[in-house]
Amino acid sequence: MEALLAIEVLNLHKSFGENLAVQGVSFEVGQGEIFSLLGPNGAGKTTTISMLSCLLRPDQGDARIMGHSIRSDGTGVKSALGVVPQDIALYEDLTARENLSFWGKMYGLRGAALKKRVDEVLDVIGLRERANERVGKYSGGMKRRVNIGVALLHKPKVIYMDEPTVGIDPQSRRNILDSVVALKEQGMTVLYTTHYMEEAQELSNQVGIMDHGKMIACGTHEELVKLVGGQTRIDLTLSVDPLKVLEAWQGIEGVEHASVEDGQICLLVADSNLVLPRLFEAATRQSARITSVDIREPNLEAVFLHLTGRALRD
Amino acid sequence: MIRILDIAFKDLLQLLRDFKTFMFLLIMPILFTFLFGYAFGGFGGGGDSRLPVGYLSQDNHWVTDSLHELLSESELISLNENVFLSQADLEQRVADGDLAAVIIVPDGYGRAMLKNKSARLIVIADSDSSAWTSIEAELLKISSRLDSAVRTATIIERLDAERMPFDYAFEQSLAAWKDPPIAVTETKSPAVEKTSDSGAALAHTAPGMMLQFAIAGLLTAAQIIVTERKSRTLQRLLTTSTRRIDVALGHFLAIFLLIFTQFLILITFGQLALKVDYLREPAAIALVAFSAALCISSLGLLIGIIAQSEEQAISFSLIPMFVFSGLGGAWVPLEFTGETFRAIGHVSPVAWGMDGFENIVARGLGFDSVLLPAAALMGYALLFFSIAVWRLYAAEEK
Repeated sequence: MEALLAIEVLNLHKSFGENLAVQGVSFEVGQGEIFSLLGPNGAGKTTTISMLSCLLRPDQGDARIMGHSIRSDGTGVKSALGVVPQDIALYEDLTARENLSFWGKMYGLRGAALKKRVDEVLDVIGLRERANERVGKYSGGMKRRVNIGVALLHKPKVIYMDEPTVGIDPQSRRNILDSVVALKEQGMTVLYTTHYMEEAQELSNQVGIMDHGKMIACGTHEELVKLVGGQTRIDLTLSVDPLKVLEAWQGIEGVEHASVEDGQICLLVADSNLVLPRLFEAATRQSARITSVDIREPNLEAVFLHLTGRALRD
Repeated sequence: MIRILDIAFKDLLQLLRDFKTFMFLLIMPILFTFLFGYAFGGFGGGGDSRLPVGYLSQDNHWVTDSLHELLSESELISLNENVFLSQADLEQRVADGDLAAVIIVPDGYGRAMLKNKSARLIVIADSDSSAWTSIEAELLKISSRLDSAVRTATIIERLDAERMPFDYAFEQSLAAWKDPPIAVTETKSPAVEKTSDSGAALAHTAPGMMLQFAIAGLLTAAQIIVTERKSRTLQRLLTTSTRRIDVALGHFLAIFLLIFTQFLILITFGQLALKVDYLREPAAIALVAFSAALCISSLGLLIGIIAQSEEQAISFSLIPMFVFSGLGGAWVPLEFTGETFRAIGHVSPVAWGMDGFENIVARGLGFDSVLLPAAALMGYALLFFSIAVWRLYAAEEK
């Protein structure tokens, strides 16, 4: 039996003047799955989310959220989903309880049901004790938790989280990632956008990689890694300007890609055992000393590098 | 509908937590009302126990100046010389009981008196009122004094020139008193209350400052709308079933309630503490306050939607405050300016608001006099609101 789809995106297009923000994006997410949209800033992730939230009307294509079309049934779409925006979209001069109460009303909750649900969400985000403090006085991590709590108020079937870990401390980040997993365990479908490869790798059943408005790859982690054909990534730091040895290393047999990123040389190689001695020899010939070597197994960052020729953080 | 109320309630909660709201909406207008009131009319203290009598001179003659001097020295009547009021305005004020009577000096009064022709003052009064008997006696006394002085001087001058016999001169003097020197026009009026110069000044400055600081107060409301958009909270609102028009109406309702409440508080303060007689025509004042609040709230919504930052929201609130208030006569009455400036001034909605309030508290007119100002203010409200909503929807695809 075919699994029920929570999100079905069909050939979405959106442009702003000359800027083709999203070009023919399609993907599917089954119910209860976490799907990560991975890509650098400006890849078109937020525009895609905005179309799926009925905030932007697509120029072409359609999407169905729990069976509701974003083109013809905006109300159905909005009732099925909760959105966690990238920014802290809260009223800072209201308390956490007042914020949750206001947003609950916007989602159609009233009276005792609203009060009960606000208390439940405060428990989920761990802020019951400080619920009557103004949000403006909270730390960045606490604000993020309230930001997520708002999207949970009406118990949506699908939740969009747009880069929810940007600019927060590691502990808060950990809490948020744990809460995403918890949502999945409760049966929610999560569409998660990020430009952190590790988050997508850790959380997702499926990952869609976007670049310049296009979906350049989509699949499970294993399926995507296969795209790089078992390549290993090696990052090397040198005692001299990396550009001095870059050309020499590009010519070494077994090196399939070489680039300089953040003062390091980044290589994709077929067999690291075979290539590493040759790299040392070439460096010595250039009177350069290798000061650090970092060998990484194939991952999503390598996939992105393989597909675009650029690092994900570029 | 319920979402509109929820948004309005949330906005009011935010506004009431901001000290600037109280600063601009209540404290500043009261302070500036006193300041401008003092500058225009002063606060004499002690009050004037004389009966207020309007005075309108259509004659430019030294005899008329002498009449004015005698009237000014009266211990019974106090002349109210508002040059901005027409004969009809003054008559209305007598009818409303704001003035005990009105003395009108017709054109040619002084010349006629010198030529020994019939020269009569026109007096508008309610002859049934208790004040009238006293005023009539005082007017007869003063006008007779002036008349006798002029006639005596004329007769003496002629006697001296023509060597006229005394008997003839006496007959001439006696005959001159056949016609009384005043003519009375009947007007029914309620009881007359005392008035003062400071009251007239406050009748202008109190509404002026109220309107000016209602616009200044928009900066806090506009900032809330700007912050909502900048923090993407507006975007989030639109991911719920809330429509853009609900958001606009919710914000508008909050600003309207705030400004209308401000008006009610300041009108009550003006009535009780400053003795500005707003409640002479409560329905008319309510209509002007309502339409002015609609207009200023729509302007606030527009400012909030077009401003890109909190700083812009402040500028966009303060600039119209200065321009509209200055142009609209909130600081200096438009009556002090020329006709052209007065016409230009009415481009500002504040001018219409001032007209509405002043027609009641300064000019003593009735309910009908506020219909045009109220209609103009509602027209502005519709214009500002339409532009605001259009801008809100136009921003959708950005």
